[in-house]
Amino acid sequence: MRVGVFICHCGSNIAGTVDVARVAAEARKIPGVAFATNYMYTCSEPGQDEIKAAIKRENLDRIVVAACSPRMHENTFRKTIQKAGLNKYFLEMANIREHIAWIGNDKELNTEKAIDAVSMAIAKVMQNKPLHATSFKINKRVLVIGGGVAGMQAALDCADGGLDVVLVEKSPAVGGIMARLDKTFPTIDCSICILGPKMVDVGQHEKIKLFAYSEIEEIKGYIGNYQIKIRKKATYVDWEKCTGCGLCMEKCPSKNSYDYFNFGVAPTKAINIPFPQAIPKKAKIDPNYCRQFLKGKCGVCAKICPTGAINYEMKDEIVTEEVGAIVVATGYGLLDQNILTEYGGTRYPDVISGIQYERLLNASGPTSGHIERPSDHTEPKTIVFVSCAGSRDKSIGVPYCSGFCCMYIAKQAILTKDHIPDSQSYVFYMDIRSPGKGYDEFTRRAQEEYGAQYIRGRVSKIYPKGKKMIVRGADTLLGTQVEIEADLVVLATAAIAAEGAAEMAEKLHISYDTFGFYVESHPKLRPVETNTSGVFLAGACQGPKDIPSSVGQGSAAAAKVLSLFSRDMLESDPAIAQVNTNACVGCLKCLKTCPFQAIVEDTLRSGKKVAKVIETVCAGCGVCTSTCPCGAIQLQHFTDNQLLSEVSAICQM
Amino acid sequence: MSTEKLKEIILKVLPDVDTVIGWQEGFDKIHITPFFMKSPEDAEKAVWNSLCVQNLAAYLPSLKKKTAVIVKGCDSRTIVQYMQEGLIDRSNVVIIGIPCTGVVSVKKVLKAVDYQPIEDVKFSDEKIIIKTSKGEKTLAIADVCPDKCKTCQYPTPIVYDHLAGDPIESTKPAESVYEDIKEFEKKSLEERRDYFKNEFDKCIRCYACRNACPMCVCQDSCIAETRDPHWITQKLSSEEKMMFHMIHAVHLAGRCVECGECERVCPMDIPVAKLKKKINSEMKELFDYVPGVNPEDKPPMYTFNVEEAKIKEHKL
Repeated sequence: MRVGVFICHCGSNIAGTVDVARVAAEARKIPGVAFATNYMYTCSEPGQDEIKAAIKRENLDRIVVAACSPRMHENTFRKTIQKAGLNKYFLEMANIREHIAWIGNDKELNTEKAIDAVSMAIAKVMQNKPLHATSFKINKRVLVIGGGVAGMQAALDCADGGLDVVLVEKSPAVGGIMARLDKTFPTIDCSICILGPKMVDVGQHEKIKLFAYSEIEEIKGYIGNYQIKIRKKATYVDWEKCTGCGLCMEKCPSKNSYDYFNFGVAPTKAINIPFPQAIPKKAKIDPNYCRQFLKGKCGVCAKICPTGAINYEMKDEIVTEEVGAIVVATGYGLLDQNILTEYGGTRYPDVISGIQYERLLNASGPTSGHIERPSDHTEPKTIVFVSCAGSRDKSIGVPYCSGFCCMYIAKQAILTKDHIPDSQSYVFYMDIRSPGKGYDEFTRRAQEEYGAQYIRGRVSKIYPKGKKMIVRGADTLLGTQVEIEADLVVLATAAIAAEGAAEMAEKLHISYDTFGFYVESHPKLRPVETNTSGVFLAGACQGPKDIPSSVGQGSAAAAKVLSLFSRDMLESDPAIAQVNTNACVGCLKCLKTCPFQAIVEDTLRSGKKVAKVIETVCAGCGVCTSTCPCGAIQLQHFTDNQLLSEVSAICQM
Repeated sequence: MSTEKLKEIILKVLPDVDTVIGWQEGFDKIHITPFFMKSPEDAEKAVWNSLCVQNLAAYLPSLKKKTAVIVKGCDSRTIVQYMQEGLIDRSNVVIIGIPCTGVVSVKKVLKAVDYQPIEDVKFSDEKIIIKTSKGEKTLAIADVCPDKCKTCQYPTPIVYDHLAGDPIESTKPAESVYEDIKEFEKKSLEERRDYFKNEFDKCIRCYACRNACPMCVCQDSCIAETRDPHWITQKLSSEEKMMFHMIHAVHLAGRCVECGECERVCPMDIPVAKLKKKINSEMKELFDYVPGVNPEDKPPMYTFNVEEAKIKEHKL
């Protein structure tokens, strides 16, 4: 065995705090090492040529590169040695940059540690086996989870690119949060007017199969070949027959149902179509409020429905779809106002959230666009907006900025002035965050042209006094306390992860951060990919985002799916679990612990019961290998012996 | 409980099964050995007394034909664990349970009579009377029982098809089970390390503990003896011995049914069950799980959950 060792300087990144020449010299002394050198930038083209030349010249068969994290350049160097004729798994990287050079300043100690790391990599590479990828076919259909603006954009772009799309939306209509907004910043164009055509396209596109009021029950499989179980929740209305005429909604006697679409601003009927532009425009019964379900008699809708679509006996239905890639666009949720006790929680009817105010402004909202106080339906004259209601507040677990609130508050202040010319808006803010195109000009316009009073400071308390709400806060620019007698208070509640985000992540095997937002593969360079290949992210499920960013990410995710599907075959990673059937005792512990259901029971010709790994399903996580008591199941490229050789190397130094 | 009642049951189940596994007298009066009964004549030779120490359930996973097995309360936990792990087909096993008030540690008895050859053994009223060439010695069973009997929670088998006798309730407090572990943990890290080093240094690597363990599934593929993967060498160093016992303990995490067979068979008197008991106490703490008590339980190490209730990794 002839190992070649290449120590990278990474400019001064590594060479600054590690004596690279000494590391190379020490490596040369290790048995099996035929060649060791150090180089300024090993990842550069001349650096890679150096490796290729050395393989030929020195007849090397295993390569160790001591440089940065393998996440950075492992692929680069694998390709390099492959071009020189070696199996690409005959490469090991020792991470002497992130793990060593960047974390300590003591050159002597760093150098010792780097020598340890390199000797481990040498021990490992000598145990490496040549591995070969296999290829498999892909199913060129895509699942989009979530029918908000990001999901719809991804679905439309994929469908326009010729792919069959399965779009699953958990509420009865697509559109998401954007469908509930009145106008959009900074151009003040009507939200539903620009979104409506997209929603219609989604509903009518021959390549898009829309499952509204449905949820993902189970996801099985792997990139290229997923089996998805979708739960079509019971609507108690046969959507094949429902024409969306709205007669049932008109006659329904149960008038006090919670209106999810309007965030409870006003009640709705137990059978309802969420909003006039809904796609699909179909009615649905809320069994929590329907008299037929609660009292067992009523049946008004069934009698009135001209097409006989009502079916009180309807049950949830599970359908299976097969796809090759998944775009996750599950959006975000809003902080529960009840947490904000200093602002009264939800005790005061005239303290509402930004999205509720949006519904009051909206011409198709419950007040037909007339701004009214929820308490006495009078027109408010003094309106206070409180930004960062929960956002940037470590104490309630939301240390981050929700991003879009500064902008929508400015928009709502402008619209308020439009609706009620003699009104006065006050905005309490911490900082104005408006870094988009035309955004800062917009917030200035709210102040300069529409006379919104911006007060830099936080609100400490909101309490009622007669018919008014007293908003007490600080004006940090004047250095005084301020109290405003308001008719209506609007809280810009923080954007949080969507309900059930964590459970969804577990179904998808993707990671999520401490706040429940999904984690992209690389924060800068792979913003729509996840670490699970075949699963892509779009929109606010990855973090709070405004409409332009969500749409951009939706298109980006679609581009990723289209480029993935431009190939007919995919290569599987050979670094997966493999069973040594001679050693396997058939206890099948591995089968029970595998998070990917990649292991099945198999019977050998001798009748012996053993475990078997489904190659394409295995993600190479290694849970089975640490579960197997006799070491019969081994993760290729990370076998027990390979890891033990690293341990031995470091213990013998 | 009389041996007669047990024989009655054996004769009743014999026609339905291939073998009934029980006990018979061994080479001397104090040693009882496992007994594989095939015929009514065999059944006549079956015995039951406080010397029936072996955990006969351990044979079950390797038997293909329908088998009946006689178990004490503690042994029945093995069967429950087998059911949880899918290692036996319950419909292929007939369980004859025996309510047991405690067995005798042969090691302790032999020590008490100074290792004299045993001429006769008699039982009377929770006492054991040993006759050697030097005379008779009467020992209270409670004084010479294995440690597991002192905190026994399951004197009556947890699962059975036939019960030879009337069920009995445990009189030992549940908290007492892990008292010895808690006591041991009060020692300093150094003391504990030295203790285990000394104890495991006695190990001759005969693997009797592993071979007697009913929950050891690997049999001839034990990684203590394989080259691939090569976790430990055959060297007789204390590191290798320690490593072997650690591996056995970790392989039993959340699976050890505390039958104590490992300690019973150890020729060097090493307290090999201690590590396993410690892990069991942790399993109870972390997962509220006790191995081998409920056939419907799912062993925590046989599942994969991203979140565990008592292990805080993600905070949401």
